[in-house]
Amino acid sequence: MQIESHYKKLTLLLVLVAAGIFTAATDISPLYVDPYKLEYPDYFGNRISIPEDNPTTKQGVYLGRMLFYETKLSSSQTISCASCHQQKFAFTDGKAFSSGIDNMRTKRNSMSLANLLWVRNFFWDGRAKGLEDQAKFPLNDPHEMGGYLEKAVKILQQTKEYPPLFREAFGTAEITSDKITKAIAQFERTLISANSNYDKYLRGEYNPTEQELNGMELFMNSPRPEKNIRGANCAQCHGTPKMYMELFHNNGLDTEPKDIGREEFTGMENDRGRFRVATLRNIALTAPYMHDGRFKNLDEVLDHYNEHIKPSKSLSISLKNVSNNLDGEKLGLTANEKSDIISFLKMLTDSTFITDPKFSDPHLKKVTTN
Amino acid sequence: MKKHFLLLGFLIASFTAGFTTSLSAQTPSKEAVLKVEGEVLKTLSISISDFAKMPHVEANMKDRDGKIQQYSGVPVIEILKQAGVTLGKDLKGENLTKYMLVRASDGYEVLFSLAELDPVFTNRVIILADKKDGKPLENGIGPFRLVVPDENRPARSVHEVSHFIIRFAKE
Repeated sequence: MQIESHYKKLTLLLVLVAAGIFTAATDISPLYVDPYKLEYPDYFGNRISIPEDNPTTKQGVYLGRMLFYETKLSSSQTISCASCHQQKFAFTDGKAFSSGIDNMRTKRNSMSLANLLWVRNFFWDGRAKGLEDQAKFPLNDPHEMGGYLEKAVKILQQTKEYPPLFREAFGTAEITSDKITKAIAQFERTLISANSNYDKYLRGEYNPTEQELNGMELFMNSPRPEKNIRGANCAQCHGTPKMYMELFHNNGLDTEPKDIGREEFTGMENDRGRFRVATLRNIALTAPYMHDGRFKNLDEVLDHYNEHIKPSKSLSISLKNVSNNLDGEKLGLTANEKSDIISFLKMLTDSTFITDPKFSDPHLKKVTTN
Repeated sequence: MKKHFLLLGFLIASFTAGFTTSLSAQTPSKEAVLKVEGEVLKTLSISISDFAKMPHVEANMKDRDGKIQQYSGVPVIEILKQAGVTLGKDLKGENLTKYMLVRASDGYEVLFSLAELDPVFTNRVIILADKKDGKPLENGIGPFRLVVPDENRPARSVHEVSHFIIRFAKE
């Protein structure tokens, strides 16, 4: 009987030792993560995109924020996501084209990172299906961040600070490129802009000026000259409180575009010169405008839509034969009307968003290598 | 001798130019297709020419100015039958919570419940049109557009339709 009991104890000991060795070898520790509460107004709706294998957690978001501002992810050790996506410019960089590691210009204008939680197809041409996929492009681009992701994995693994952060966010201290893009995506999902004067107006906390109200009405209306309704038709593509729709349109910039836009990705001729309908949130902060930054200010943008739409086969139907004048070919807004629309667009500036410490640089320069 | 070199140079230049032209001509744009996918027994990818061979019917709708426009196309129900979507006697129980998401190539999306499309439930025939007044649809509208008769706003008569996606509504 006693021998049997010894066997039992020995078996139990062996099981415990084996479990201990397995845990140490695989570096798996129980994962305790706190869900990150994404707060946004009801009028944004809940058609959000969070992949099942990358839930948003406080630990993941913090790691993502560290990585977003991490220059070690670039081959020159000088460029981070934040180089082209600066908080003070609503996460753009104020340039027509950005410069990467070798000062080569990017192909297109840096896009604002606001309310990405609702976006389904990323980039000007919609080529990336989710934020995790999107993050791979600049990281792997030879001119943007130098295609350095796999080397950066090894470098971050050598630091004191990063392995514990990965363990907290993902359960193991092993750093992988997949975890890097997942964490960055988690941080980017938290970049919610919903506290502009327009939001305050929607919540009944702000009284717009006469110009802002008139601009808002013009923005929302389609022109119907036969009914004496004046409008700028903006909401056709930028409607809803999110100020964009998930659409790709040719907005009449060129008859023969140098950059063929979405056609390059889909191979479809009807996608020639089509680019995503960008959000107008914080638009006053994100000059210059369009995929190639050709317009320096909002006056030039309004002039384009009002007077300079170029015809082409793939021109958006929302921009064809739309006029405030009976049988007119151009939009036909007056100078005052254009100015009122700009007053409304300035209502979309969210000063909380661009100063929120949750989105700021966590000063990663202190990170040291072992 | 010099003349011969010039001639040779000219021939090489012509050949290279011709080759370059033919290279660019060899990369034509992809042809538009209609894809039917999701909760289907058979995923479909229908080309413009295959679509033209399917039995057509006429349907009318009002444009934004209230004028009646006549289109020719294939009833959506016939396309869904080909894909093996639960319709007719099978459109009951949980299948009544299925919907068809219509997606356009510019990203525009609208939704119909299956019961809105099935003649067991409704006499309204919604078609996917490929012709208006006997001609192919114009750029920005075709090659396929939905024609939804008797709606006060034409917002669901989607232009440039590229996908019918059948799904269950999930709470």
